[in-house]
Amino acid sequence: MSNRFGDTERSNGPGAFAMSVKIGAPLGASWQHASATCEFLGDVFAMRQAREGRDFTEARHNIIYLVNELLENAIKFRAPGGIDLACSLEDGNFELTVTNAATPEVAEGFKALLAEVTTRDPGELLIERIEANAADENSSASGLGLLTLMNDYGARLGWNFAEAKGEGSVMLTTHAALTLN
Amino acid sequence: MEIKTGDYTIWTEGATIHYEGTLRLSGTDAYQPILDMMQKVLSDKPQAVVLDLTQLEFLNSSGINLLAKYTIELRKHPDVGLKVLGSTRIPWQSKSLPNLQKLHKGVELVIS
Repeated sequence: MSNRFGDTERSNGPGAFAMSVKIGAPLGASWQHASATCEFLGDVFAMRQAREGRDFTEARHNIIYLVNELLENAIKFRAPGGIDLACSLEDGNFELTVTNAATPEVAEGFKALLAEVTTRDPGELLIERIEANAADENSSASGLGLLTLMNDYGARLGWNFAEAKGEGSVMLTTHAALTLN
Repeated sequence: MEIKTGDYTIWTEGATIHYEGTLRLSGTDAYQPILDMMQKVLSDKPQAVVLDLTQLEFLNSSGINLLAKYTIELRKHPDVGLKVLGSTRIPWQSKSLPNLQKLHKGVELVIS
């Protein structure tokens, strides 16, 4: 199966306002820590937007929503190790990459999900998945966050899988881009 | 009935369920106590259930799925109405709440 899914092309250049955050082993990647990270990034990048005369509230919310969903996924599905976040903003284009390790089994399962998510209409698939999930109590609702981002937020998402040398795991990089007004 | 933490409060007033704060729980299991509370309101067979989300600043996709599941449950009770109140002040609501109407045509959605 392919190692690349969706839209991984990015446009922000070296002049973009950028920030990287590493959620590492010493602090642990707790749920609460994820919340604080999202709020922090939302504040910093939305303030930057506001300085350019754009909408603070909408930008802050959209950034927090995007970072939160991708960070939740990374925390739930990662193999032991840190999570790297890199954010940038240029002309209202917010870009985010999230990098974490995953076991080969988790990676294969995720690829199968992505093969569907990236080739179907997200709005249609979102409703279909919600219906399937409501009908089956054991369903994990996987993919709903990604579909919500694509359908409700117009997020452009892409994924790259690469072999992690000598570690028996896979490095997963999730690329996301949002147009902020 | 009330569920209260440092991040959110959910309480019922008759058949109206109020949500306030930030809801960012980790998945279906974590949301179960809230769903149980919502089911309890439905089991009293009201004329209509009202979900007041006007003070709910943030809801992650697992939480949106909770609302979706409840909406689908309401489809099985055509005699019980479902009214969802949102606020234009809170961006996620205008983006994601219209999906509930795709699941159940009888949902009355008011975002003001």
